[in-house]
Amino acid sequence: MAGRKAALKAIDWAAFAERVPPNQRAMFNALKTRSDALSARMAALPEKPPTIDWAHYKATVAKAGMVDEFQKKFSALKVPEPVDTQSAKIDAQEQEAAKSTAEYVQASKARIAQYEQQLQKLRSMIPFEQMTYEDLAEAFPETKLDKEKYPFWPHKPIADL
Amino acid sequence: VLHATRPLHTSQQRLAPLPPLPEKGGEVRHGLIPEEFFQFLYPKTGVTGPYMLGTGLLLYFLSKEIYVVNHETVAAICILSVIIYGVKKFGADVAAFADKLNEEKVSNAVAVKNAAIKDLETAIEEEKKEQWRLEGRTYLFDAKRNNIAMLLETNYRERLMTVYNEVKKRLDYQVAMQNLKRQKEQDHMIQWVEKSVVQSITPQQQKESIAKCILDLKALSRSAQAAV
Repeated sequence: MAGRKAALKAIDWAAFAERVPPNQRAMFNALKTRSDALSARMAALPEKPPTIDWAHYKATVAKAGMVDEFQKKFSALKVPEPVDTQSAKIDAQEQEAAKSTAEYVQASKARIAQYEQQLQKLRSMIPFEQMTYEDLAEAFPETKLDKEKYPFWPHKPIADL
Repeated sequence: VLHATRPLHTSQQRLAPLPPLPEKGGEVRHGLIPEEFFQFLYPKTGVTGPYMLGTGLLLYFLSKEIYVVNHETVAAICILSVIIYGVKKFGADVAAFADKLNEEKVSNAVAVKNAAIKDLETAIEEEKKEQWRLEGRTYLFDAKRNNIAMLLETNYRERLMTVYNEVKKRLDYQVAMQNLKRQKEQDHMIQWVEKSVVQSITPQQQKESIAKCILDLKALSRSAQAAV
């Protein structure tokens, strides 16, 4: 933020909107309306206020030094720029977001690797017509019969048949 | 006789996947005699060889009474003919039915597997999409910073405008005050002059001015009539 006339970055709202997940759409809309309202307000105000016609006033106002005094004080006046208190917070938020994003991306990649592994296993399975029950238990461990817990056929509680 | 000390399929090293069982069993003629027997005898005795052998053996057993014909023979003939008739007529249908049952089981399993594959693929797609979404977080922060910049800018401009307006108001007030004072003075003076003039018109002057007005009017009316 270098000074008052920092150029406003052009935001591609369309691309932004694409990336918003559906459950955060309301927040996005609120942000957009706020942004639009602010930019409308800003556009409504002129960048520089109109200049005061000192010559005219000097000619018309009867009181002697008043116009001169006003003029002097007016040109000497410096309007203070408003202080920026929130940018630091935004930057901090950005850092945090970057960190949590990195974490999420990592977790996501781990999940993708898991899925890929499973997919690989499923794709390279032998066709069911050539499987024995042992092969099935190998491919899908949840169908494996527990011969220790239920030593007698059918190796699973009767209710599960 | 299986060797008990040579267990099969206990180590992981085995032919996997198990080679599939053959679709059909070995060829047989007349449901009993394997085709290999006929092929075996073909070079020496040709096509009719095994049949001759069979007929000869049968006649030998019958004539020498190695096989004795008694009541059980008749029973065997009846039972076997019924069985053969039943199998020939209904065999295919029963086989198809059994195959259908098996087919259903297998297709269920295959459907489950396909569904699982599809689910995994969509899950991977979703994850990738979420990652792509995350890349757009810079937009959010840019928007926020923009908002802040706009707010500050707006505030500054408002301040400038306030200053300008205030100064202008004061100067305009002075000008307006002057104008008003002048106006009031003018009005007052006019009024005072009028009042004094009216006061100074004595009754004598009033009569004279009224007579003159009547004379003027008469002259005007005469000239107006002439015009009409």
